[in-house]
Amino acid sequence: MKFLGLLVVVVGWLVAVGSVLITSSLTARFIICLIGISLCLVGILKILNGAYLTDAIWKQ
Amino acid sequence: MKIRRTPGTFLIVLFASCVLCGLSGRANGQTSPATSTSTAAAPALTAPLNVKDAAPPSADDLSKGDPGGTLTGTVNDVPVSDSKKGLTLGDAVNQIGQNKVAINFVWTLVTGFLVMFMQAGFALVETGLCRAKNANHTMMMNFMVYGFGLFAYWVCGFAFQMGGVGATSNLGGTAPLSGEFVRHWFGKDWGLIGTHGFFLTQAGTYDVGVMVLFLFQMVFMDTAATIVTGAAAERWKFAAFAMSSVFLAALTYPIYANWAWGGGWLSQLGANFGLGHGYCDFAGSGVVHAVGGITALAVSMIIGPRIGKYNRNGSSNAMPGHDIVIVLTGCFILAFGWFGFNPGSTLGASGNGALRIGSIAVNTMLAGCTGSFGALFYMWVRYGKPDASMSGNGLLAGLVAITAPSGFVNTIGAAIIGLVAGVLVCLSVEYFDRKARVDDPVGAISVHGTNGLWGVISVGLFADGKSNYGGSWNGVNGSVTGLFYGDPSQLVAQLIGVATLVGFVFSLGYVLNLFVDYFVGQRISAESELEGLDIPEMGALGYPEFVLKTYRQEAGAHA
Repeated sequence: MKFLGLLVVVVGWLVAVGSVLITSSLTARFIICLIGISLCLVGILKILNGAYLTDAIWKQ
Repeated sequence: MKIRRTPGTFLIVLFASCVLCGLSGRANGQTSPATSTSTAAAPALTAPLNVKDAAPPSADDLSKGDPGGTLTGTVNDVPVSDSKKGLTLGDAVNQIGQNKVAINFVWTLVTGFLVMFMQAGFALVETGLCRAKNANHTMMMNFMVYGFGLFAYWVCGFAFQMGGVGATSNLGGTAPLSGEFVRHWFGKDWGLIGTHGFFLTQAGTYDVGVMVLFLFQMVFMDTAATIVTGAAAERWKFAAFAMSSVFLAALTYPIYANWAWGGGWLSQLGANFGLGHGYCDFAGSGVVHAVGGITALAVSMIIGPRIGKYNRNGSSNAMPGHDIVIVLTGCFILAFGWFGFNPGSTLGASGNGALRIGSIAVNTMLAGCTGSFGALFYMWVRYGKPDASMSGNGLLAGLVAITAPSGFVNTIGAAIIGLVAGVLVCLSVEYFDRKARVDDPVGAISVHGTNGLWGVISVGLFADGKSNYGGSWNGVNGSVTGLFYGDPSQLVAQLIGVATLVGFVFSLGYVLNLFVDYFVGQRISAESELEGLDIPEMGALGYPEFVLKTYRQEAGAHA
């Protein structure tokens, strides 16, 4: 799960950066950037952090 | 031969300087044809000037002292390149140029010294917000991060960051910093990392301008490095802290800073893809604070929360710091240092629109003020008391948020940015504490990470298009303008910067700290943590004459 979380984070970044390559429409770039950032946040706060919380010290 | 220099003749020298500047401007097509006829009378740069009317004070006058300050600093103080020939127009013009660079050197160095002093503020804030049994350890992390960071940055960090920045005109050129590793992808140049300046000697970087730039950039990097120590406090192994800090100073920070400030691809989003002026981060909400805050998030997740922070059902316990007095003193020191952080980022006080330093300083103090208001009112309304530590964090959040836009916004924008930051830091602390369950003893992730990102975004919203730092920014003519003032493309450039922070910087920081965890282990033992880190890690208590409640004593009292 940790690896998956990290992968989602990197993919989210690449999606956001890729917005400048795949379209010249400002609105489309804006939306793609938001999608990329959302992916990054989901990867960090949900998947990666969730993996750490499953065996957190306070659950032991 | 002694030359008499008169005020009248000196005015002629200045006039001739202006005429020469006009000549040079005309060569670049910047001067109207109507002014070109007056240039024929300009004297040669090497011709001696008649300066006898300057009437410099005699030796007798000077021997009596100059209490009024009217005799000190005259034409006699303008150095001449050839004493036989005397003062020439070339000498006068060179002195004008050196005076400009000298003003900028002094400004940049003094503001850099202010930023360096912020380390003391961070040390006090973090130590005060931790428990007394960890005071020595927390203070030592804040103290030694300066040394570890500086060393790594000198070895390679500066070269990676600024090695290809090119000419910095306010500092006289910094010409040796001309090595950028660039890849040509998708029809555009992507600057990836600098290659000049290792050990501040490689590739001709033993240069006065480079030294000034190094000092200023180094203290910025150290600010980012010290942010992590707060989030990981009270459970971080000192050896792991040392390794982690070196990685941040040598790799994580310099790479992102190169992309934003060193001529890298983020700064070229405007020139290459038409996104405003490219990624704009005037003094480092993203480059400094978000890099530190997001790395702090990665480290905190790897280390895990302190023992006792969370109950078995996941609810959190408050673990208050031991000295609110030094916390708020530290906040004041940081607010003082921020007057170096933001206004100093002009890298000068003379030329290229640098007189905007007054506006930048006022924006800085305003955002800090409204940031503390926002946090204070939020806590007062929500919990019934004006919380002191969160008011301090609100001040810092406002300062963090205004760091990126400070050079581009007006005072209304600054006040709004700060107010939002003050509320945002409270919401963010609650989220990380109760929802994400990432333990952050001092709120560093929220203050620097969350509000660093807010600061980056706010440039794309509030930049008013009035700033003019030499007429262009990141190679794009005109002033940086945000969405509310008519340029939505700037906001997209800022969002790509945000994505790079949460995507690339987090990933790199996370992987590097996993590496540290594998080799030295990030977390100290449970017994040491309960005992307090001062004795197990540092060998001495922070407050040896205090009676501290250790877990053994507490256990004995309950027995």
